[in-house]
Amino acid sequence: MSDLLRYKDIIFYRTLAGLKSEARRNHLGYLWFVLEPLLSTGVLYFAMSHLTGQRGAVAVFTILLGMLVWQWFEGSVMLSADSLTNKFHIHQQVPLPKYLFPLVDIGTNTIRFAFAFSIVLAACLFFGSGPSLTLLWLPLVLGLQLALITGLSLVVSISVTLLPDLRVLLQSGFRMLFFVSGIFFTAERVPAHLLPYFHANPVTVLIESYRAIILNHRAPDLALLGQTALTATAFLVLGAFIQTYFDKRLLKLTNV
Amino acid sequence: MSEALIQLENTGVYYRSGRARGPAGIASPWALRGLNLQIRRGEKLGIVGRNGCGKSTLLRLLAGIISPDEGSVRYARPGLHVQLLALGVGFEGHLSGAENAILSGLFMGKSRRHMESRLREIQDFSELGDAFHLPVNTFSSGMNARLGFSIALQTDPEVFLIDEILGVGDHAFLIKSQAAIREKFKSDTTVVLISHDARVIGDICSRAVWMNRGTILAEGDPADVCRSYESKR
Repeated sequence: MSDLLRYKDIIFYRTLAGLKSEARRNHLGYLWFVLEPLLSTGVLYFAMSHLTGQRGAVAVFTILLGMLVWQWFEGSVMLSADSLTNKFHIHQQVPLPKYLFPLVDIGTNTIRFAFAFSIVLAACLFFGSGPSLTLLWLPLVLGLQLALITGLSLVVSISVTLLPDLRVLLQSGFRMLFFVSGIFFTAERVPAHLLPYFHANPVTVLIESYRAIILNHRAPDLALLGQTALTATAFLVLGAFIQTYFDKRLLKLTNV
Repeated sequence: MSEALIQLENTGVYYRSGRARGPAGIASPWALRGLNLQIRRGEKLGIVGRNGCGKSTLLRLLAGIISPDEGSVRYARPGLHVQLLALGVGFEGHLSGAENAILSGLFMGKSRRHMESRLREIQDFSELGDAFHLPVNTFSSGMNARLGFSIALQTDPEVFLIDEILGVGDHAFLIKSQAAIREKFKSDTTVVLISHDARVIGDICSRAVWMNRGTILAEGDPADVCRSYESKR
């Protein structure tokens, strides 16, 4: 923890630098943070409204929330998969802890998410059923998701650096997860006997919780969130262990 | 004899690539083996050796980038600032020269305040003028090297690790940068210089070590060590 304080300037500066360079690379700059999820939501809404006949603002927001939450999760973890290999020249010159680099990538992607999420949240409240006290659950769900992302990224960043083939597996895994996480459909569409499997997926639980809180003014399912918290904790512990063990061994084990 | 800042005791490091594992490996995987070496406060230690003798591994080990697989590396105190002279560590193209100076300094273990207080010197030494506040991806490679060198010079580590005395930039700046490094050799900074050029080591170091295949072949007076190294080449 004291290390994190020492390195907070690095995390802060690099996160800013990442956002700045990304925004300056494209003409539309920061607008892409919102446009990107809107575009994919448009495609999914078009397909789903034709398949299921569900139309209107609620259907749009249901998909949009799923999409945003998914992109925050998948985007951060996939960025972390490359964060060490991309900066290998730095690791060869300075003894910085490796975990800083996935953390920076998570930071950049989280700010991007926060930007898009606050706009979507405002739109949901404006066009939907307005604000309610259940919104107080939001920080808990957001925090849980951040913990899950961080834990998984700490594990993934080292594993992919050591075994580059894992990257392909990870991508396929995410593609599969995309279709089963309930991003463009809700739990009602899932057959009852499959529900336990559906809810074993922490991403599903998170997406359903956001929808319950924002769209339905219901408290999230605390038992399921508890499971997610356990998963996140397991990944964080494993991640901390892997990062500590490989920190000064990584360069001897890879020849990138 | 002055105090030892870094002490290597029977230190060994070996590399394993993901694929060449087990007895199939032909060459010994040990990059360093059975190394006993002291780096004392204020000394200018020169290390000579041919390519692949383990010099770069030794620098990484001293800088704390990798851990030993055998034996130990002991520092006089935790957090001793040992820094490799490296140019443009972590430069971000879209950030200005000044912003990169701070970022790069943070990477090299300095605080933001320290780097902010040295911005003036960095700008002056790099001779970048107003371009210092432009994004570095508008710089020529020479300007980039000048900036990188000027930043590295302002990091003031307790132990400076240098892999070959490299001058950078055009002729005038080359002379200036080499002079700046030689200046470090006159100050009381502890310096470890690695080179395959024995003459440089003989010229400016106070002690020399000759390395071959990850072990020390000779150690002592730079003139003596370099003479035996030259004669064996």
